[in-house]
Amino acid sequence: MPRDTLTRQIHHLLDEVLLLGSMVEQATLSAVDILRQRDLKAAATLYENDQLINDKRFAIENAILILIATQQPMAHDLRLLAATLEIITELERMGDYAKGIAKVTLQLKDADINIPNRDLERMASQAVNMLHRGLSAFVNEDPNEASAIAGEDAVVDDLYNHIYHHLVETMIANPATIDQYNQVMWVAHNLERMADRVTNICERTVFIATGDMLEMDTTDDEESDGE
Amino acid sequence: MTTQTNENNIIIQANDLSIYYGSFRAVKNVNLGIQRNKITAIIGPSGCGKSTVLRAFNRMNDFVQSAHNDGKILFHGQDIYAPEVDPVQVRQMIGMVFQKPNPFPKSIYENIAWGARINGYKGNMDELVENTLQAAALWDEVKDNLKKSALALSGGQQQRLCIARALAVKPEIILMDEPCSALDPIATLKIEDLMRELSVKYSIIIVTHNMQQAARASDLTAFFTMDEDRAGLMVEYGETSQIFTRPKDKRTEDYITGRFG
Amino acid sequence: MISDPFAATEHNRVASGLSRRHRTGKIWQAIFFSATVIGLVALVALLWTVLDKSFSYVAIEYKVDPATLSSKPLQELTNAELVNLLEANLSKNRFRTLDRKQTLTERTHADLLTLIYDNIVEPRALASYSMSQWIASSQEIRAEVAEKYPDAKLEFRAWINGDFLIDPLSGDPLLVGVRTALMGSLFLILITIAVAFPVGVGSAIYLEEYADKNKWYNRIIQTNIDNLAGVPSIVYGILGLAIFVRTLAPLTSGALFGNADANGRTILSAGLTMALLILPVLIINSQEAIRAVPNSLRQASYGLGATKWQTIWNHVLPQALPGILTGTILAVSRAIGETAPLIIVGAATFITSDPTGPFSKFTALPIQIYNWTTRPQEVYRNIAAAGILVLLISLLTLNAAAILLRNRFSRQHA
Ligand SMILES: Nc1ncnc2c1ncn2[C@@H]1O[C@H](COP(=O)(O)OP(=O)(O)O)[C@@H](O)[C@H]1O
Ligand SMILES: [Mg+2]
Repeated sequence: MPRDTLTRQIHHLLDEVLLLGSMVEQATLSAVDILRQRDLKAAATLYENDQLINDKRFAIENAILILIATQQPMAHDLRLLAATLEIITELERMGDYAKGIAKVTLQLKDADINIPNRDLERMASQAVNMLHRGLSAFVNEDPNEASAIAGEDAVVDDLYNHIYHHLVETMIANPATIDQYNQVMWVAHNLERMADRVTNICERTVFIATGDMLEMDTTDDEESDGE
Repeated sequence: MTTQTNENNIIIQANDLSIYYGSFRAVKNVNLGIQRNKITAIIGPSGCGKSTVLRAFNRMNDFVQSAHNDGKILFHGQDIYAPEVDPVQVRQMIGMVFQKPNPFPKSIYENIAWGARINGYKGNMDELVENTLQAAALWDEVKDNLKKSALALSGGQQQRLCIARALAVKPEIILMDEPCSALDPIATLKIEDLMRELSVKYSIIIVTHNMQQAARASDLTAFFTMDEDRAGLMVEYGETSQIFTRPKDKRTEDYITGRFG
Repeated sequence: MISDPFAATEHNRVASGLSRRHRTGKIWQAIFFSATVIGLVALVALLWTVLDKSFSYVAIEYKVDPATLSSKPLQELTNAELVNLLEANLSKNRFRTLDRKQTLTERTHADLLTLIYDNIVEPRALASYSMSQWIASSQEIRAEVAEKYPDAKLEFRAWINGDFLIDPLSGDPLLVGVRTALMGSLFLILITIAVAFPVGVGSAIYLEEYADKNKWYNRIIQTNIDNLAGVPSIVYGILGLAIFVRTLAPLTSGALFGNADANGRTILSAGLTMALLILPVLIINSQEAIRAVPNSLRQASYGLGATKWQTIWNHVLPQALPGILTGTILAVSRAIGETAPLIIVGAATFITSDPTGPFSKFTALPIQIYNWTTRPQEVYRNIAAAGILVLLISLLTLNAAAILLRNRFSRQHA
């Protein structure tokens, strides 16, 4: 079969995307864990290490541009490469969310507040789980699985709403801590946005497989991101 | 962009067209409506009958003694293979540009004037030559030596001269059979730009085996392939943007991603 | 790298065949070169024998030695002096007869000289020695001539000269000229070309551009033409005799045009026969030339809405013309040298009047050359050689003219 070169290079590219994905997963889980432990040193390291994710993303982007320029992919190949460009952007943004969480840790220092660590960890693990399976669906080009994963976004939204109400109540009860709890609110928000972005990845997966662009995201995608 | 299915926009239409060379069916059951003032690309693997179909559109197949057709080709609703139709007239209205630039071994001026003259052009010949050369984006390069032999031009210039020559006969449709396959990339791009400009006034059908070219230069793309019996058939026809990003047929997909065969 | 054993063997493998290949190449080159040399040697030998014979030392016996006629060489005498000479040396009757034919005082210098030679000097060639013989053994020749022909003078003579070209045929070897034959040949070729060229090119156009090659009758025509090209020329002579000389006698003799006492053995019959002879070759050559016109040119023309005839007339023929002309040259060259069919159709071997029209009796160069070579006298070898030179030169001239014509055409259309 012709186009062995292109096929091989696309496989290599997908491996790199999975690697980037696992970096993001790792960063997200660590960020929440570090917040629970209030480990400022680890938080600082995590904050710095976001650069590695950015670098990886640019490396992949460059590889895709070279592939497009040299191999002139068409149809499915073209959709795959274009979608991958989008997906690595999403992943890099997710990395930024983890970095944002580390920043919150650094700003909270050892402030004496009651962080809903267990709920945040559940959110994080749910989002990371979605991301992991979403990337698998992407690599396997499984539109059904992708659609199913996009549906799970609701779970994260529910957790977010729960944390949101809890934090609002806490802030009303104790206005002096509004600043700190607002920071915590961003953590939950970032995790919620992360799940949204997994949904975007799933949309791309369906696009690659079918050529159709479906809007799966239930929340307002245009909302600005807080970092 | 959406595919226009407006009947009035169809300038030439193949209905259930099958073309035979002797008993060999080279092309079968093609239904293809070419839209006015659009560039339509015909792509497909070698030997799938692209040129055969193209030549059927202006009855150049008449010169192959064994060639005959089933089905109809309607030009403005008139069957061009009807017995009362003069093929010479058809070829005046549907011009052709060939794979290898084939200017006449005469001067640049004569190359253009000849076709107009035999078709009874009575107007100002100098004007016609200038206008067509300008339309073919060649005027500036040759205006100072119109008496020079056309064979002294570069390949790309020769091909543009051939296009100008076709324009001088005032056709409605221009058929191009792999017009750039003998040209270098820059000359190729020049021809593609030229096609775009010409599509304002003419309808263009281009056969190409260069998919990038079809993608770059055409509005609509028809993909042909071969059956087990080696007969060519049209698999898919649609907006170029759709064919090259979201082809509907697996065979189209395999071909344009280069995973054919 | 150098120590890499693999690289070393690779290098040996690459280099090992080279000297052998060079050797083989040299051998082939030598073979082809010797083929060329053999051809060249043959050509030079041919030219040499012809040239050698065209110039010779002739033992001439004069009835009256020209040196005794006048104190000055004859060429330097004035017309009046020449007329006086004639009057002095001829009988009254003879002189008057000549004067009545054309007044002597009004004749040209050359004419008068000829008269003196013919009537007074009356030279006779007794023996002839070619240039090479002379150079090799001039002493022996002198001795031999002095012994055998004591009255003869040994003179150098260039057989190919101006007089040879413009004099008519004559029974006297020293006065013979080739004009009648040359004119006959030219007339013949003119008729041949006039007939064969349009017919041949027309047939070629039909066969290449119009004929459906799958049709049995077209295939038969083509096969016939191909085979006719190889038919011996004598067969064409017989054909010409049967058709043109006999069957079409009223036409070819000019009887239809009021030429009462003629028969069909005219220059027209011969020209038509020659046309027939070269027609197959001409058709085949023209077909080749037409076939060599790239199809893309025809397509370009048709693509512009040109008709078949417009395409052929404006593109195919101009493009094929150089090739057609080359083919015609080759065919006509063959016709110029043909003897056999002319003899059969009835070329005269002795005729002194120039052809005046298509219904004339005629002779032709090769006929005369053939005729001369069959004569027993030695001097006729020399005359034949001179005739061959004239034939060769006219052939070359014709070819050169055609090549010039062809080049003009190729320049115009390239
Ligand atoms: N003049 C001809 N005579 C017989 N068969 C032909 C002729 N031209 C093309 N074909 C056959 O028709 C088929 C389609 O040819 P063509 O139209 O030239 O294909 P394409 O242009 O797509 O490469 C091929 O199988 C080819 O062999
Ligand atoms: Mg083709």
